[in-house]
Amino acid sequence: MDILRNWKIHLLVLMIVVMSENLGIVKYGLIILLPLLHALVLGGIISFPKFKILSTKQMEVAAGILPIAMMLLIVKIGLDIGPNLSLLFHSKGALLLQEIGHFFGTVILGLPIAVFLRMGRESIGATYSVAREPNIAIIAEKFGLDSPEGRGVMATYICGTLVGAVWLSILTGVVAKLGILHPYALAMGSGVGSGSMMAASVGSIIAAYPDMEQQIRAYAGAANLMSTILGIYVSLFFSLPLATKLYNFLSKFQSDKETAKEKV
Amino acid sequence: MNKLQNMTVAMILSGLLMAVGNVIGYHVDWYSSLLGVLVIIVIGLIGMAVSQIPGLNKLPMVFWISIVAIIFSLPDFPGSAWVIQITKKVQFLAVTTPILAYAGLSLGKDIELFKKLSWKIVPVTLAVMTGTFIFAAIIAQFVLKWEGAI
Repeated sequence: MDILRNWKIHLLVLMIVVMSENLGIVKYGLIILLPLLHALVLGGIISFPKFKILSTKQMEVAAGILPIAMMLLIVKIGLDIGPNLSLLFHSKGALLLQEIGHFFGTVILGLPIAVFLRMGRESIGATYSVAREPNIAIIAEKFGLDSPEGRGVMATYICGTLVGAVWLSILTGVVAKLGILHPYALAMGSGVGSGSMMAASVGSIIAAYPDMEQQIRAYAGAANLMSTILGIYVSLFFSLPLATKLYNFLSKFQSDKETAKEKV
Repeated sequence: MNKLQNMTVAMILSGLLMAVGNVIGYHVDWYSSLLGVLVIIVIGLIGMAVSQIPGLNKLPMVFWISIVAIIFSLPDFPGSAWVIQITKKVQFLAVTTPILAYAGLSLGKDIELFKKLSWKIVPVTLAVMTGTFIFAAIIAQFVLKWEGAI
């Protein structure tokens, strides 16, 4: 009964939930701060190692409950898909093709920045995917986690865990408020294949377009399901080779420029 | 206590916390909140059971739970109107808050690891997350227009 014995964790979550929900949705201009964001930040502060409130063991229990609680969110979102099935079917092309954006968007935007910052071969592991658990497994199997690629994927995993949800929630809120992209398109964008990041992102879209709440969740849920299922295969067979090729190309260009500079 | 029993306990516990948030944050009454959460938990448990069936367990549990929830919400599924009406009382945001609270409480162990990393990973991670979100949304926008869905 490991889960019940760690009552301190649940009591803290209860406290955090009461505080976060009382605070509610906070809006500053283009920025939307949701209760889930308050909860994440409050939890992060409480778990800060310096405060010694929680032991590493207790933090691991909290990390263990997270994916199980996430299943309830998956149910909640799944229940929005059935009533909107004909709507989703009507936009099946968009649902399928937007996955290209999910799988290659990380490389297209992330890799050039990583190479520019001279991260070396770590750039490949760091940017070939959103670096969630299945993506780590792929790199571990192909290169080992002690390789530069392995260090790269672990770095994005750790950093993504810390800032991913916060960043996506704020970014989505700003993009939604700009009103250039349709809320359905944003909803599909939010299905990145990580539960907490999707929740944070969808929450911000719903806060901006409350009257389309159910359809937004249906699109996000469908896209997230596709990212989760297809993600393993696409990132192994397409994204990783693409990231490697693009890295070899970009780094060649970089070293050429360096030698040119040295000659001068 | 085996893994499935542990999962059941964790689901019920986190569900109760969701009900609390639903009452406080969205002013839904206790009865509707608890009933809604109960139905969500039952569907989650059915999905969990399905994912354990030999042969089906090759795909992740999140897939089967999604499929079971989708089936329960199909217009032709008996009782789906009731399921939807009951679970609608549980607000989406109320479901997310306890999840992110657990996530937050587990961050401490990552903070130590994070300190050992170079600052460079921060802009790179933000670019990775931005890239996957924005490129998917832009492609979706064009295809939705082309399909006449928006």
